[in-house]
Amino acid sequence: MDGELLSDTFVELTDTMVVGFDVIDFMHMLTDRSVQLLDVSAAGLLLADPRGELRVVAASSEAARLLELFQIQNDEGPCLECFRSGQPVQVADLAAVAHRWPQFAPAAGRAGFAAVQALPMRLREQVIGALNLFRAAPGAFDPADIRVGQALADVATISLLQERNMRHSDTLNEQLQTALNSRVIIEQAKGKLAERLGLDMDQAFSLLRESARTHNRRLSDLAQAFVDGTDALAGLNASGSQARQPAPRPPRRPGP
Amino acid sequence: MTDGRPARVWGLVAAQAARRGGPVSAADACVAAVAAVEVTGAWLIAARGAEAGHLMRVTDHASELLAELQMTLGEGPGPDAAASGGPVLASDLDEKEAVRRWPAFAPAACQAGAAAIFAFPLQLGAIRTGVMGLYRVRSGPLSAFHLGDALTFADTATLLLLDGQDQPAHAAGSAGAGPGGRPADLIRHRAEIDQATGMLTEQLGVGIAEAFIRLRAYAYAHDRGLSDLARDIVARHLRLSPDPDPRKDAQT
Repeated sequence: MDGELLSDTFVELTDTMVVGFDVIDFMHMLTDRSVQLLDVSAAGLLLADPRGELRVVAASSEAARLLELFQIQNDEGPCLECFRSGQPVQVADLAAVAHRWPQFAPAAGRAGFAAVQALPMRLREQVIGALNLFRAAPGAFDPADIRVGQALADVATISLLQERNMRHSDTLNEQLQTALNSRVIIEQAKGKLAERLGLDMDQAFSLLRESARTHNRRLSDLAQAFVDGTDALAGLNASGSQARQPAPRPPRRPGP
Repeated sequence: MTDGRPARVWGLVAAQAARRGGPVSAADACVAAVAAVEVTGAWLIAARGAEAGHLMRVTDHASELLAELQMTLGEGPGPDAAASGGPVLASDLDEKEAVRRWPAFAPAACQAGAAAIFAFPLQLGAIRTGVMGLYRVRSGPLSAFHLGDALTFADTATLLLLDGQDQPAHAAGSAGAGPGGRPADLIRHRAEIDQATGMLTEQLGVGIAEAFIRLRAYAYAHDRGLSDLARDIVARHLRLSPDPDPRKDAQT
């Protein structure tokens, strides 16, 4: 593992959490960084909706998002087991345990994944979600990767408790619902932008994230304003170079 | 059993409408929530987008007072829920934090007999249709089960408000049979439905709430599942066109 990238990532994550930030954007950043830092091909993050079901809130790729959704819809898979037990679940070779998840294992194979590591997001006794790491090649996960992965999952948990102290379950539930609704606003904004500029959904999402960063706005606020028509996102266009470049990182804390 | 929740809540709302003797309305969701979630009373404010809205239903005198206090003072769990886009769960209004947050409203609410207030925005992403408030004379948080139910009552009220089944002109006894018939699809909704709704704002030149109404109306009229239809729109296999307007056609 790249030690400098690891320290950069944690500085970036904690910097982001110091000021007002967008939970969904933050969780996307966590899945993206998981892929960069760890020996994995994709990552997905599930959160428990108090209505009683899991929701996919972030994924590093469309394939990972669909595979997470597949588990929820078919009610089977390692990520669900991890969430229900509150314990990590590692599967080094999905093909070898296909009998355990007769629907999930072949679906993962079709999506190009051979191994999975699911890590619980825990808050005291409560399990609120899971961070799931997928790898294209079979084989055991590096224990160091698992430790860092769990730390990233813990950061995701803490990000839901932003701004206020955690004396009540009330705060967690408020933040969770707000985040889940932000997810919906962002999807609506992606659809509108994709249709307007003739983009696919991933391109539209990149453009929205980038615009939020450039203008130093919360992603969900920007998405809401765009959907409401109070912000036309002037300057964004499909042919510009913006869409192809990775989102710029937030400014670093000044060095010592 | 989590799968049964939307259907169970819908059943309670429909039963309330039947008792009242009218088509299912968002007001029925507000009334039915009181017993199901074990609170003392409830109110429902219907609004379009970011406007202030109007008080549509209260279940007792105290809930009317609480709703009007919040609208007058402009502070309280209800206004905060509308502004933040998430529920505001004030399980003890007598607590320091609540008083600091709502210096005028919290003491007034306690005076009115409320010890806890739970406010739920009636929204689906950027679509906002109002706020549902619940109050209880006893302090303490909602149980996880009751919170899940309260959110589902709020989802149901949101869809009923969007369906416009609350307009007297629409009272053709079609309880549960319209495009909003089974609110379960809101819970089971997927990213594709939200993306398709966003796409329709551009295709049809309408606002986000209208786009969602049109998506559901199309699914209903063509007897298709909402997710299935949304996937076709997102994959660009299907485009919806604005309603043909004869006057416009004649002019151009």
